[in-house]
Amino acid sequence: MSQTATGSDHAGPAPAASRASDELKAPLYVAWQVTNECNLACLHCIEESGPGKAFADELTKEQVFDILEQIVDQDVPYLSFSGGEPMVHPLFFEMVAYVCERGVRLKVETNGHYLSAENCARLKRLGVKAVQVSLDGASRETFNRMRVRGDFDRTVEGIRNLRRAGVSIEINYSPTKFNAHEIGAAVDLAHELGSDSFYTGRTMYTGNAVKTWRNLTPSEAQYETLFATLHQKSEEYRGCMRIQVHELGLLEELRYRLRHPAALLIVLPNGLVKLINALPFVCGDLRRQSLGQIWSNFQRAWKDPRVSEFVDALARDHRMTSILHKWVYL
Amino acid sequence: MQLAKYVKFREEKFGGVLFDTLTEKVYTLNHAAAAVVREVRAGRDVSQIAARLKDSFQDPAGAIERDVQALIGELQRKGLMKDTQA
Repeated sequence: MSQTATGSDHAGPAPAASRASDELKAPLYVAWQVTNECNLACLHCIEESGPGKAFADELTKEQVFDILEQIVDQDVPYLSFSGGEPMVHPLFFEMVAYVCERGVRLKVETNGHYLSAENCARLKRLGVKAVQVSLDGASRETFNRMRVRGDFDRTVEGIRNLRRAGVSIEINYSPTKFNAHEIGAAVDLAHELGSDSFYTGRTMYTGNAVKTWRNLTPSEAQYETLFATLHQKSEEYRGCMRIQVHELGLLEELRYRLRHPAALLIVLPNGLVKLINALPFVCGDLRRQSLGQIWSNFQRAWKDPRVSEFVDALARDHRMTSILHKWVYL
Repeated sequence: MQLAKYVKFREEKFGGVLFDTLTEKVYTLNHAAAAVVREVRAGRDVSQIAARLKDSFQDPAGAIERDVQALIGELQRKGLMKDTQA
């Protein structure tokens, strides 16, 4: 899984202007990391996913479909499957079919290595809303350096297969010291490949990035140039491709979320539910609690003083994000 | 008229929400607006909707048809609703 400033690949539903999320009867968006297994071992992976990295306690088939049934019953309008690499999950296509047939809008977030022509046609037939592919670079050199075991050409071919099948495409781009200069070319490439959206933001100090930070993180000067280029490209592609940039730093994002929690649940491969990817707090366990119970817990958990204390501590030491995987149960 | 295919509607205690899954934006609706969306989903046009809502909502100024038209126009401008023929 890639990362943006929100700590995930997805922007998440913005809190409605006049209503708080605690007035909603259920989440509007469930972001489900279906497995921690991945065919790649990316330098910046927020989840420390990789080959052989599936959790020992990932959900059984019965548990998976019980949760999907609850998502449908609770009328959750929007769902994403990510990982790890979601397409390596043995139940992936069954899960996609289950939710799409029941009217849930589904986004798949993938590294693009399993987007064969056949799989793309299948995703189109099943009716996925969009497939988001991580493409961190405009060249083989930078992409393959960042996405260990990954292959730029295979990813690009996968995106082309999506286009041929008529599936809506979104591109996610994580900036680093060695690919930041390619941002303009990457936006152009995304457009050429037929992408509808391009997402990017600041890379976060967590997961694999903790170990690789010194060689990975762009300088502030690089970020400035990158954001300036993105603003220019946003104008250039206005009306053709949405360019969504999370310029806020993590701290600003979390402070905003403390006041306005998004109506979004993050489900981990073992059924634990996190408040937000960029915090270590867990507000429920779908193996033992219903989605409804966890939604109530979610509202309460955001008001727990430990959450705001953690954000305050993060203001003093940005390296606190290195412990996001040491879960704290609220 | 109909909701755009990427827009999902859900009823809530306060009325309802429209979720634009394309932009991931959420729009909240009060009871009257939610009722209009419900009627649109049932395939009714502006005058049919206004006639039906007069039974449920007070309309002393006789403005309900104009209000329905204004709401639908706004939803169309935001790309949340389309003409059925479109």
